[in-house]
Amino acid sequence: MSTPAALRPAARWCLQPSRMYSVPPTFLLPSLAANQQSSSFSSTSKSLYPRDNNRERGVSTQRRTGLRQPVSVSNNPLPQPILDPKKRSKVQVDETHGLWDFFHSKDKPMNTPEEDFAHGRPWSAEELRAKSWEDLHALWYMCCKERNRIVTEGGERARLGAGYGDHEANRRDMTVRRTQRAIKQVLTERYYSWRDAEEVAKDDPEISFDGDGPIYIPQAFEEDSVEGTSSKEELATAKRAQKKVQKEPIADDFYESEAVHAKGRKDV
Amino acid sequence: MATKLIPRIPGPRLGRKEIYLPNFTLQLIRTPNLPPTYATFIVPLNLNKLDIRDYLWNVYGVPVLSVRSYIQQQKIRQDKPGAKRPSPRRWYRPRSIKKMTIEMEQPFAWPEAPESFEEWDKDTFDAANKDREEQEKQFRPDSRKEPTKERKSIAEQAKALLEGKQKWVPNKIVEDEWEDVGEEVEVETDVDVSKVEKS
Repeated sequence: MSTPAALRPAARWCLQPSRMYSVPPTFLLPSLAANQQSSSFSSTSKSLYPRDNNRERGVSTQRRTGLRQPVSVSNNPLPQPILDPKKRSKVQVDETHGLWDFFHSKDKPMNTPEEDFAHGRPWSAEELRAKSWEDLHALWYMCCKERNRIVTEGGERARLGAGYGDHEANRRDMTVRRTQRAIKQVLTERYYSWRDAEEVAKDDPEISFDGDGPIYIPQAFEEDSVEGTSSKEELATAKRAQKKVQKEPIADDFYESEAVHAKGRKDV
Repeated sequence: MATKLIPRIPGPRLGRKEIYLPNFTLQLIRTPNLPPTYATFIVPLNLNKLDIRDYLWNVYGVPVLSVRSYIQQQKIRQDKPGAKRPSPRRWYRPRSIKKMTIEMEQPFAWPEAPESFEEWDKDTFDAANKDREEQEKQFRPDSRKEPTKERKSIAEQAKALLEGKQKWVPNKIVEDEWEDVGEEVEVETDVDVSKVEKS
């Protein structure tokens, strides 16, 4: 057969006897061609469109239509974002801002390894034993701030991929932590010596824990010796007790702060 | 009894929890996408918003207007960090990281990053890291399957040849490669070598 294979089914469909009758006759062709509706289907006039009283109809943020009416800022151009951070205006930072204490210097965000290495030895417990609670407390907070500095600068060094310096920073941190350990050791020693002193004071006739009146009532030893009421042994023990109490550098206010400190430590 | 006038201390409202020897560290982190009046810290997990407000006021004198906090869970991984040979299926999740962002009255900007990292010896540091990574690669279980450097180079050359970027040049024949010593000469003619017969 000479007809192409693709045309064969279409030709068969056209030649079917039932299909021959469904084709409209030729005289109806003009009516089929004039298919457009000449008058509106709706009887409502166009002036009533839109039909609801919605003022925002047609205003869409998604389609970026903008407002229907111009507003007072319509003529002002939008500010352009500055994408380059170098061109942005510098933030004026107060010289006394507290967060500067998170850095060793204001010029750069981290110390060089040489600067980190330039430190001395930690405070020893022996040196700190002579210090007051206020001094020790201040030193503890210096240590806290120094550790914050070290950890902040370490994070920045890692973020920038700056290079070496971890070892020096760790050594510095260890020195600070050893100072803190010495502070705690001294405070613990004081606490135990205070407890021992309390035990001794229970037997001391010069100290009363009644609550009313002064705690320490010194006795006149010279009068006692003149009167001869107390024996030699009693005098010696009393003197020893007095010496021991005087030896302890614990004042009343220190005792109070120690108690509060113990309470505070429990919270930590 | 005369009432004593207590001087009002400027600053935020503070808590009454008395901590005399705080033993933790705050790490200030760089947040270029936040406004300069905000600062973010990595804090210990047990620190709360009131604690950081009091701490920053008492230690650094920074009045804090508001605090928001965020705990970042870490990705699960096999074996602990720093294990020499991480054993598979020993699951380990690193400790979460807690971050707190505070709002301050005064803006604060970090110091500029240095231009060159010569003082930190960055070149040596990077070279050492690269070398170490290559060394570690050799001990990975699938290191045998990865193509060697030579193979990669040969593949590149072959590809260049096929695409016509390079032209095949056979090895040059060196003129003096073979020395002409003339005809072969029989030596030791006086030695009688008996012929071996095949059996």
